[in-house]
Amino acid sequence: MKKLYILALAVLASSCSKSFIDLSPKSSYSDANYYQTTQQFSAAVTAAYAPLTSVVTNDYLMSEMRSDNTIYQSLLSNRGTAYTDREALCEFMDASTDSYNATEWQYCYQVISRANIVIDRLPGAGAVPADSATHFDGQCKFLRALMYFKLVRLYGAVPLYVHEVMTPDAAFLPRSSVDSVYAQITSDANDAINELSAPVSFPQTGQATKGSATVLLADVDVYLKKYTDAVTLLNTLPGMGYALNANYGDAFTPANKNGKESLFEVQFLGGTATGATPNPLLFHFLPRSTSTALVTGTAINNTSTGGWNTPTPDLIADYESGDTRLDASIGIAEGTYNASYYFTYSALKSVVSYPGPPAGKVAVPYIKKYEHGAVAVTGSSDDFPVYRYSEALLLLAEALNEQGQSPLTPLNAVRTRAGLQPLTETDQTALRADILHERRIELAFENKRWHDLVRSGTAITVMNAFGVTIQQEFTYFPVGSYVVTPDKLLYPLPQAEVGLNTKLTQNPGY
Amino acid sequence: MRKKTVFQPLVGLLCLLLISFAGRAQTQKVTGRVTDDKDQPVAGASVTVKGAPAKGVTTNAEGFFTINAAPDAVLVVHSLGYQAEEWAVQAGKIPSIKLRAIAKELNEVTVSYGKQKQREVTGSIATVSAEPLQDQPVMQFAQQLEGKVAGVSVMESSGQPGRGVDFRIRGAASFYLSNQPLFVIDGLPITGSINNINPDEIETYTVLKDASATALYGSRAANGVILITTKHARAGEAKVEVNASYGVQSIPGNKVPKPMDAFQFATFMNERYQDMQTYEGYTGAIPTEYQNPSQYGAGTNWFKLLTRSAPIQNYDVTMQSATEHSSSTAIFGYQEQQGVLINNGTKLFSGRINKDFTTANGKIKMGVNIAPSYRLDHNNRLATDGVNGYFERFFEASPLISPYNPDGTYQRNVYSSGMVAYINPLATYNLTNDDYKTTRILGNVYLNYEFLHGLQLKLNAGIDKGGETRNYYQSGQVTSTVGNPTGTSSSVDNGSYTAEGYLDYKKTFGEHSLEVLGGYSAQKFSSTSNTITGLGFPNDDIPYLSAATSVTGSSGYSAYSLVSAIARVNYNYKGRYLLQGAIRNDGSSLVGSDARFGTFPSVSGGWIVSDEAFMRRLKPIGFLKLRGSYGVTGNNTFSGYYSAQSTTSNYYYNFNNTITQGTTIGNLGNADLQWERNLQLDLGFDLSILKDRILFTYDYYHKNTDHLIQTRPLPTASGYSSILDNVGAISLWGHEFTINTANLVGKLRWNTSLNISVDRNRITALVAPGYLRRNNTVTSDYYRQQVGHPLGAFYGFVFEGLYKDATDLANSAKYQATATNPNGVSNIGTIKVKDINGDGVIDDVNDRTFIGDPTPKFTGGLTNALSYKHFDLTISTAFDVGGQILNAAKWAYQTNMDGSRVPLAAALDHWRSLTNPGSGVYPRTLTGTTAIGREVNSQWLESASYLAIKNVTLGYTLSLKANSMFNSLRAYASIQELAVLTKYSGMNPEINLSGQDPTSGIKVDEEGYPIPRTISFGLSATFK
Repeated sequence: MKKLYILALAVLASSCSKSFIDLSPKSSYSDANYYQTTQQFSAAVTAAYAPLTSVVTNDYLMSEMRSDNTIYQSLLSNRGTAYTDREALCEFMDASTDSYNATEWQYCYQVISRANIVIDRLPGAGAVPADSATHFDGQCKFLRALMYFKLVRLYGAVPLYVHEVMTPDAAFLPRSSVDSVYAQITSDANDAINELSAPVSFPQTGQATKGSATVLLADVDVYLKKYTDAVTLLNTLPGMGYALNANYGDAFTPANKNGKESLFEVQFLGGTATGATPNPLLFHFLPRSTSTALVTGTAINNTSTGGWNTPTPDLIADYESGDTRLDASIGIAEGTYNASYYFTYSALKSVVSYPGPPAGKVAVPYIKKYEHGAVAVTGSSDDFPVYRYSEALLLLAEALNEQGQSPLTPLNAVRTRAGLQPLTETDQTALRADILHERRIELAFENKRWHDLVRSGTAITVMNAFGVTIQQEFTYFPVGSYVVTPDKLLYPLPQAEVGLNTKLTQNPGY
Repeated sequence: MRKKTVFQPLVGLLCLLLISFAGRAQTQKVTGRVTDDKDQPVAGASVTVKGAPAKGVTTNAEGFFTINAAPDAVLVVHSLGYQAEEWAVQAGKIPSIKLRAIAKELNEVTVSYGKQKQREVTGSIATVSAEPLQDQPVMQFAQQLEGKVAGVSVMESSGQPGRGVDFRIRGAASFYLSNQPLFVIDGLPITGSINNINPDEIETYTVLKDASATALYGSRAANGVILITTKHARAGEAKVEVNASYGVQSIPGNKVPKPMDAFQFATFMNERYQDMQTYEGYTGAIPTEYQNPSQYGAGTNWFKLLTRSAPIQNYDVTMQSATEHSSSTAIFGYQEQQGVLINNGTKLFSGRINKDFTTANGKIKMGVNIAPSYRLDHNNRLATDGVNGYFERFFEASPLISPYNPDGTYQRNVYSSGMVAYINPLATYNLTNDDYKTTRILGNVYLNYEFLHGLQLKLNAGIDKGGETRNYYQSGQVTSTVGNPTGTSSSVDNGSYTAEGYLDYKKTFGEHSLEVLGGYSAQKFSSTSNTITGLGFPNDDIPYLSAATSVTGSSGYSAYSLVSAIARVNYNYKGRYLLQGAIRNDGSSLVGSDARFGTFPSVSGGWIVSDEAFMRRLKPIGFLKLRGSYGVTGNNTFSGYYSAQSTTSNYYYNFNNTITQGTTIGNLGNADLQWERNLQLDLGFDLSILKDRILFTYDYYHKNTDHLIQTRPLPTASGYSSILDNVGAISLWGHEFTINTANLVGKLRWNTSLNISVDRNRITALVAPGYLRRNNTVTSDYYRQQVGHPLGAFYGFVFEGLYKDATDLANSAKYQATATNPNGVSNIGTIKVKDINGDGVIDDVNDRTFIGDPTPKFTGGLTNALSYKHFDLTISTAFDVGGQILNAAKWAYQTNMDGSRVPLAAALDHWRSLTNPGSGVYPRTLTGTTAIGREVNSQWLESASYLAIKNVTLGYTLSLKANSMFNSLRAYASIQELAVLTKYSGMNPEINLSGQDPTSGIKVDEEGYPIPRTISFGLSATFK
């Protein structure tokens, strides 16, 4: 009998042991039981959008402050790498170890990775209706194309991940050529155009639409000098309901988000509710202070976050007289800096015809475009624009001009909205400069300027000349700042990435 | 799937052993006497006839007995505390049976799943009796074990009350997994913290070091096992013991960092601005507060304001009583330790009840142990340690500023011009409240049933149950964003149960002895937790979330489980040739779904050479045993229980102001993740010379750990930053020497115990690129794990002094030099480092290298115990010789030449000009050049050698045989951390970045809670 008991016990124990140790998490899903339903795929697509907020809260360091539009406020009392790494991006003194460069890279690829998961798993999800699947696929292809377009412009050839990474080995890829990256972007953007619908109504939902994908592909085409294709694409936009707002500043107000001028914008929502994603950029763009109350209503201490992306005198001077965009984009903060380089605000002034600060005060320009009244400690509800209809018009102008056709209709639509006289210029070269200038003003602080300088071939001359001037105006730039060589037109791949993945090669000059 | 079981053959073997016995007849009366080895009668001893245990008698007060027995019967005499004796009845001979007292502990030692005669042990184990350690005024038993056992490293990396002590056995080295040994209390493997255990409940520690000793713990044994046996009353004992001690702790002053006082800091800043005028064309004025340094005295001494002398106290009462068939022990204690930093401390209320019962025939033994405890932690878990830790802030706030406003309220900002923003550390400490309340119950019941002679069924079921609540509130005056008071309330309910059943068979055939053990074990841990955070408190009046205007929170559940089969065979011939084989088959929920079962076998052998005839001529040698073992153990102690699976996380995005929850894979799983495997060889011997006056033990071990688990960094372009993977292998080897001597045995007794361990390790394999960095900075990337190097090898620039003059600058490589800026950020008087790749430029990627090794040459401890008449004196020391320590706190933070933080006073002696270059240690303050001083370089390295006088205790014992109340009374004085003799300039040469984890920064000093010196007085009384 005993023998039987023991045997029974042994059989029982060995058979239940498998289920005893087969535990899966209960407070989250595992990938084995997720990605089944429409609702789950919808949530997976939302997760792919989520890192966009991190991309745009970092991208100004790489795509705007690198240009002649903005600089940083000096903070000589703190030489921690959290500060010097950001300053170096502005000064063209950045090394491959720069942590903000690594952040940009990481978040762009995070969007791509999450898009890949959806794109790869959709074909196996029988429970998802075809129209939903198409909509999910289109959004993810748009996001993937948008991020690769950002990456290829910043870094050149980059590793091309187009499938979900499921094993350690699959995570190590070499760089793909610039051409193959653009081929992927074009293919993805075309898929997105075909799979997504035009906005049903305005304000839009905030998701990517046929219009978003169309302007993205047109932008890519202009980069690749495929002007005919760009014109064809851009001419489809008015039919989708897009148009300019009456006033330039309207596009940026939280009340007006996702309006008819918006082709795609990164969504933010202030507050402390779970899931809210407040926009902290306002604090980044103001001078560092223990209290920014004069601008923000509540007393915010931005001593560790602020002081970046300060508009330059060069940019301010580039606004034509009477341009309503100046006052909408830039403000002046008057006050004093203490020895710790913290600012005490005394007054806010209009930048238009600003006479200069009173005795004993300094005047610091700041970006006003994303500042709309009192905000909470955590940030505001201002969205961040990625593509606006005015940019579509300027792309159209550029594509027309490059083909020898008159760009004046779309170009002047943008100018007259800003309160300026229409141009009558007919010379192609002069118009090329006019369009670039118009882009600088219209799209100021929208992370376009550095890319515009690079693709127009003017980056080296413009930035070296700018460097000389700015170092005369501000003495805090270290020796060696603003030495812009051809190598500096691409950023280095993050050193941690190159160190870890031996298949990667570094860009020249780093 | 590889699923092996060891069950079927085991069952067959055990069933073959089911043998029955027959009885006898024809009896006569036999009368005899039982005495002890001093010829004193033994009363109450049980006398039975062999084979008929039910028909026994007991001896009377004079030791006499009368029993019916057959003429050829064998009498068996049992009495607790004595070894059983047998007497063969012979006609005409009156039985006179002498019992020998069992020499305590040392004869039998606790081993995994049972006890074993010490002489027959073939593995590497060490036993420590807790009693001599109990005078130490400490709250954690770990502190008592420092320097006591060869191969066991105990280090106090932080002095947080009731916390901060870690174990490491034989350099246990796992990259990612825990390096703590497995703790088993009275047979129950515990899953919670060891901090809740009152040291006074403990009777002995057994440290299992090699693979054969630990094999039965299989997948959890790679870091060694510490078996803790709590106090159980012995038959004949009946006593009440009271212990009380009270001590005062203070911070030893000699190594406290000396930051600049107000006069010195104003002078430093004044000079800095002067130098800016001289060298940088600075045209501004020197800030007002620095214009006249001589107006200041010492200013605010933050360290003094934030530290104190603090009491530590300990009271407990132990009640013990036992008869032949029942034993009871109850221990209740209260311990309290206030912190030497202000406003923090810990209190522990603990109890333990151990009950053991034996049936009349001795066949069934059952017992229950239960130990509840309740702990109150006040602010002792605040982040005091490390960079940006509360403690570091004490030294960096401005001495020019008073902590108080004129109206007596706290001043929030305590930084002077040019410094970074500092929030008042005194206010922070006083206006932050972080209380944890922890309830813990350890309990188990066991049954041993000898249902056939020699064959026992053993069942053991236990729980380790914990519950903890946290209540946190920080006033808006000191939150990082002004006026943003924050409260958190959280709770966790966790615990594990363990159920084990096994059969144990013992049999002697002539000169062959055999013990076979086999069975099952299952364990499951689960944890349910929630956290809610409140914001928007209108004021500080109500520090609970009921006053918050915004509350967010989450809850979660997690679990892991382990199911195992175990088997062990011990065999010996003549008690002289010893052999053991053991195997455990484990299935764990933690590893990858394709690798869940693992088998962990071991073999060991021993030879008691001293029993051989040829050894008898060597009279001085009383005992000599040679041992050897080889085996495999594993490690699966994950912190994330589902890390091997791809699991989802939530990510939020807002579509046109609608909060939308997104969900996708957040953790990339690895279905192929295998157990970490540890293959260990151990060779050793035990030697006793001159009638046990000298006992010597030596062990050599060599461990190879492969399939090392690590969160392997992935290129972030993959969308993930890491994956849990088997990344490589490491070898660890060493020699352990233990010598115990009885130097004097007369009236003046003097015993010495010395142990020395020599431990080495080398990383032997790692996935591409062949190394793992700590992080991607140059400021805190302190070490690099790389093939061919020891764990935690320091990595950084090689310091070459300061650039002396223009020639030196011209002829040396310069930091971040470029064609357009040939001097980079270097200049005369700034730090010069070695140009490793010889390209004429110093850069972060190519000019950093291995600069030092934290591995000590040897470590150990020396304890001397003396007694003379009523006095006893014990001196315990621990030492660590030959390793290096990286003083990051001093160089990265406390010598900030930008004046962003208050530097050490020594930095006043910095470079100012060619004619006033200072001592050449501290560079100039030139803007933009100081960063390299905060980047890891070889100047930060110091010798980590130390000799710590851990404890000195002087006691006086009154023996009160005639007293009607007391058995004995003892008073003692004890000093803990009397002195640390070291050249190291930091406060604590035992410090590590992350406890004892050898893979996250051993011997890196980022500053931590100071280890106090404690002077205490105690009294212990035993009542009759």
